[in-house]
Amino acid sequence: MSITQAFLIHLICGVGLAVGFWVAHNVYSINLVSHPSHTLRLILVVETPIVILLYSCFRQNPDNCSYLKAVVRAILGLPVGALINTFGAIALGAPVGIQYLPKTINWSLLMSLFTFVPAASVFGSSWADWHRIFAHTKPNRTVEYMICIPAHAAIIGAWFGAWPMPLDWEKPWQEWPICVSYGAMVGYLVGIVASLGLALLRGRQQHNKGD
Amino acid sequence: MGDDTWVQLFPHHFKKAYPYPSFNVKDLHTVDNGCIEHLLPSLYEEDWDVLIAHFLGVDHAGHILGVDSLPMIEKLEQYNGILEKVIDVLGSQSGQGGLHENTFLLVMGDHGQTINGDHGGGSAEEVETSIFAMGFKKSPTSIPSEFDTSSCEINLDQKNTCISTIQQLDFAVTVSALLGVPFPFGSIGRVSPELYALGAGTWNLESTNGDNSQNHSKEEEWMQNYCNVLCINSWQVKRYIDVYSASSVIGFSLKDLSYISDIYAQAEEIGSCSFKNSLLYNESSNSLLPALRRQIDTYFNFLLSVAELARSKWTEFNLQMMAVGLGILFFSLLIHFLAIKRITNPYGISLFPSGDSEVSIRLIIAYSVVVIRACSFLSNSYILGEGKVAIFLLATTAIFKLRYSVKRKMMLIEAIIFLLLIIILRFTIEVGLSKQAMTSQFMSAHSSWMLEIALGHPIWIHIAEIIPILALMLLAYLLYMTMISSSSWGICKYAVLGTSLCYILIAVHWASESTIWSSVPMLQGIGKNSIPRIVPRIIYVMGLGQLLLLVFGQLFNKERALNSKKSLVIKTVAMLSAYSSTVIILSGKQGPLIALASITGGYCIMRLDNIEQDPKDNTAGALTFDPLSVTQWSLLATCLFFSTGHWCAFDGVRYGAAFIGFDEFVLVRQAFLLTIETFGFSHILPVFGLPFLAARQYLMGQTEQDGKLLFLQLSQIYLMYGFITATTVTATIICVTVHRRHLMVWGLFAPKFVFDVAGSVLTDILICLAWLYYLGREDGTKLSTQ
Repeated sequence: MSITQAFLIHLICGVGLAVGFWVAHNVYSINLVSHPSHTLRLILVVETPIVILLYSCFRQNPDNCSYLKAVVRAILGLPVGALINTFGAIALGAPVGIQYLPKTINWSLLMSLFTFVPAASVFGSSWADWHRIFAHTKPNRTVEYMICIPAHAAIIGAWFGAWPMPLDWEKPWQEWPICVSYGAMVGYLVGIVASLGLALLRGRQQHNKGD
Repeated sequence: MGDDTWVQLFPHHFKKAYPYPSFNVKDLHTVDNGCIEHLLPSLYEEDWDVLIAHFLGVDHAGHILGVDSLPMIEKLEQYNGILEKVIDVLGSQSGQGGLHENTFLLVMGDHGQTINGDHGGGSAEEVETSIFAMGFKKSPTSIPSEFDTSSCEINLDQKNTCISTIQQLDFAVTVSALLGVPFPFGSIGRVSPELYALGAGTWNLESTNGDNSQNHSKEEEWMQNYCNVLCINSWQVKRYIDVYSASSVIGFSLKDLSYISDIYAQAEEIGSCSFKNSLLYNESSNSLLPALRRQIDTYFNFLLSVAELARSKWTEFNLQMMAVGLGILFFSLLIHFLAIKRITNPYGISLFPSGDSEVSIRLIIAYSVVVIRACSFLSNSYILGEGKVAIFLLATTAIFKLRYSVKRKMMLIEAIIFLLLIIILRFTIEVGLSKQAMTSQFMSAHSSWMLEIALGHPIWIHIAEIIPILALMLLAYLLYMTMISSSSWGICKYAVLGTSLCYILIAVHWASESTIWSSVPMLQGIGKNSIPRIVPRIIYVMGLGQLLLLVFGQLFNKERALNSKKSLVIKTVAMLSAYSSTVIILSGKQGPLIALASITGGYCIMRLDNIEQDPKDNTAGALTFDPLSVTQWSLLATCLFFSTGHWCAFDGVRYGAAFIGFDEFVLVRQAFLLTIETFGFSHILPVFGLPFLAARQYLMGQTEQDGKLLFLQLSQIYLMYGFITATTVTATIICVTVHRRHLMVWGLFAPKFVFDVAGSVLTDILICLAWLYYLGREDGTKLSTQ
């Protein structure tokens, strides 16, 4: 997979996020601060097909595994990733309660889309690859950079996004999950750029080695 | 009329009150309209001596909309209009014999504002405000010039306006003097001559003495009067200072006190209050002005000296001592750091083993977590939610450890159990936070949904009574299992047996308090009164006995233990169990559950210790270094402090615990028990339990190691723990220094400072004691051969 393909994919994913926000703002007149749950759901609706369909093109074993199978396992990976993200968020202190349930569900599905779903569609159930990407953090190919780095960056961004929550500024965006979502999305975008840069660097290194 | 805070502060003092709710900062008009409605009509009534109208709109407008906003300007114009009306009414009625002949009007603010509209800090624009005073009866002459401190300038309308200042300190006593009521006991202000002169009544006081008042000018009369008032004022201030010095723990220094007394004696010598002066009055017809002036000046000198002394003692911080203290702390941090380096490096097999980058990543994460926690003390919101911050950081480290365990494909269960434990601890911390919010003035109370569940069905009450007893049984069982797993227990066996007995006694104690006990008719009479008193005392005595047994056993133990690590583990278990029964009974029904949580947490941390390191690389004799585990241990200890329902304020201390087993109050004994209860789970048990981290490899069943290496490992761990504590305390102290003029310094930052310093001193003492106990027999001979 080439750098230009990676660049295009990331561009489309980023644009998808922007489209989600645009639709929320112009068509429904809501935004993340006023109606977090709905906005997140809207962004999900826009972004999920983009991510799943695009990443499934680059599945690990195109011979053994059909496109449809990759899409299906990505869809299955979405709730699993959501559960893991929710678990982590609750351990870190996310509020628990009936009134927070829709927000938490939407947030965790979005986080799963950033972190879990690309890997699920590309790798499926090959545990060794998951292990290499997420536990050892040693991506090799360009597609692995595309999966690994935005995922880690989204989580780190969400972690930093939780910092304003206990402060007493009494701003509406300090509620759960607004600032955390902003942090995650900023992290994701930074991760996209970083992954392209690193993949480019690695490509150049290999090119020099090859010569 | 106006702000309802007056009625809350003085519920029975006002004959008529028209309070309006003042908390809604967005509401600019309710209080003011209420005031206006009642103010002008009240001016026509005869039945009041003091009328207070408190307008609030300006304050709210400044906070919400800013100093330059349109509503602010409108409010100011509105007040201007009202003021003009009031002055008209008062003026029209102030003729001879009129309703308001002797009325004195004061218009003032209670505080200023910054450019953002906020207040509460110490800047000039916040603490300076304006006062407008008007007396309606024309004073015969203006105030004697030496008392006029006003500065004049030409204002925008080309008129000469003169403004003077008065300290807020002087306000209470000046108004009391004008009203003719006794001066407040604790006031140390002086009667302001300018305001006093405005009160026209003060000029005519001597006119009833018929005969020779015409000889002396009005000015002299007034000064006579003012001198008398100052005399009373000085006497009142002197009396207050004397009473304060007699009854305060840290009063003024003797030098300062004698200086003040000298000035007062000087003033008294010149002339006392009115009695003597009226004699002088009769004797000579010469002008008394010079004598009066001298006397007034001496009184001024006295009162100003007292005010200055009070300011320097009560409102100024001794920045020099603060700098010295901070310097000492930084020095101690440096020594800690150098000591850790020296221990790790010279035997330096393992600071950077094969996993070079991994150790540095762990080091960076551990230090970052500590630094983040330390920096969080700079904000008052993070201090209020300190438990949440601690859990957040602990969960972060736990997620890192989970990642490492997935990487190494081992200890996965322990990592997940640790995360589950963190989730449980987090909920208990939130319960504690909601309790704190109920009494705190800084937190808004959101009632926890868990508390709502808990109070309810009787079945929950029964369950809540049985669970602690079951937990105690589980603890006793765990102790038993540990004991039978090894044979070389020696004298420690008796300590552990004693603890099991204590647990049974505690269970009996709690069972006797439960509803089930009283519902069984046979047991109803037994021990209702005696058990709550006897059982705790037995447990305290036994705990003390176990400690002494262990310490003396250590002192007189002649034999070298065959396996140092094994003996270390045994000693640790024995020591922990000796403390545990006292801590558990003092903590109440939550004690055994928290003990189980801390055992689980400690076990998981221990198992995940050094998980990064490849076991194949661990050559015999290597000193392992995992700062992340020690950081986790320290964070877990902090979380346990908050889980047991404590917080760093004086209302966060569970005073009831000091009286378990005792009814009367004896200071030392009760304070001792209270210290154990407050710091038991968060300082005492974690410090004495740290050797588990060092002895990890014994419990993992690996080969025995040299006693010397164990000594170094344990020292290293204790030094790291001490370093972490010292870092957080230094951060707290820096934060209190920076925020010493903050609005919440006495409500929030100072109590946090006290708790942190107390905890740190206790930690240091405990580390020394633990080090001596565990390693005191490891003599230096083995070291010196190296």
